[in-house]
Amino acid sequence: MEKLIITATLATPFVTGGGYMTFDAILAGTLFDQIGDVDEAHAAIPIRRTAGLYHASAARFEVLDYSAIDFVANLRANHSLDPSLIAKKSDGRTLHKAIGMKRRRDFGAVMSTYSLVCADSISWFVEGDRSQIDSLISPIAFIGTRRASGFGEVSSWNIEEGTLDGLTGSNNEPLRPIPEVMFKGDKTTLRVDTGWKPAYWHPANRSICYAPEPLL
Amino acid sequence: MNTYEFFNRYFGRHLVEQQGKPYEATARALTASHRLASGRKSRLSSGWAIVKPQGATMQLRLAASGINYDNRTRTQAFAFELEHWAQTPTLFMVFDKKPLSIAHLFVTVDLRAVRICTPAGVQTFNYKQNPSELSPHYHRLLFKKGIKNAS
Repeated sequence: MEKLIITATLATPFVTGGGYMTFDAILAGTLFDQIGDVDEAHAAIPIRRTAGLYHASAARFEVLDYSAIDFVANLRANHSLDPSLIAKKSDGRTLHKAIGMKRRRDFGAVMSTYSLVCADSISWFVEGDRSQIDSLISPIAFIGTRRASGFGEVSSWNIEEGTLDGLTGSNNEPLRPIPEVMFKGDKTTLRVDTGWKPAYWHPANRSICYAPEPLL
Repeated sequence: MNTYEFFNRYFGRHLVEQQGKPYEATARALTASHRLASGRKSRLSSGWAIVKPQGATMQLRLAASGINYDNRTRTQAFAFELEHWAQTPTLFMVFDKKPLSIAHLFVTVDLRAVRICTPAGVQTFNYKQNPSELSPHYHRLLFKKGIKNAS
């Protein structure tokens, strides 16, 4: 495992719903697309891990411009959902949640607000396997939320030798969310309730952590 | 203790049986109907709640005991709490017709990252900084209220 600085040069602004966009999360998503199994994907992340904590920093970037951005997703219950994927009641046939066809809130448009960030590049401090990371990131052309819509286009990736382990910076500040009991750095830094390991969305993976400033 | 254990220990246990995983009990508390003081039943569909290790306070008057009830508006209650911050973990919740999702629950442990949990999402802001035009709604609202309270 080597200490690395990984930089993505951006061609388009990226979108974020908050959080920290840690580098292990990006690799976990890529590996899940390849493997199709969450646990296997997380086990295959080629980054040093201590008690479940990956040595990979949060995304670091200089904001050139920032604004809120809304997206509307239109769910059409009749043809957007496969009923076989919806949980069934104990009889094994009736859908656990009936799809309402009368009220818009049951099947209509859903609007979500995110942050749109213009930045030249995003970088991460990581301690991991250089060649495996290189082969995983090379095909990644878009990162962040709404990447399938053209946001967060990566024009190039660069990996260089670093000096930080992806957990704490040169002033002992946290570079990523680290649970209170595992943090050895400066304890005057920000504490926040957040996910600290993948899957970051899963409620069981939340804890009070020492962390950098959250993304916008 | 994670967010859901915190929620259940100081608030949720007064509302629902504590069965299954902590986040499952939390989801039940936020989506089930509860007996109101008036005798009718209702979800947590209006008002606010503040949950701390010292106890929970909420606006909607439930029949449940073990919770403090308070008539202040959400802005008044949240601003007072932030102005008198006692360094204890606190959960700020806003209720509306749409149930508050467990994904939107976050404990505030630092004034530099206050988290207001609403059905539309969680608003995170640094209460020690002045809000800008792009700051979350509650940052601007609570900042104004804090100034008013101070004057």
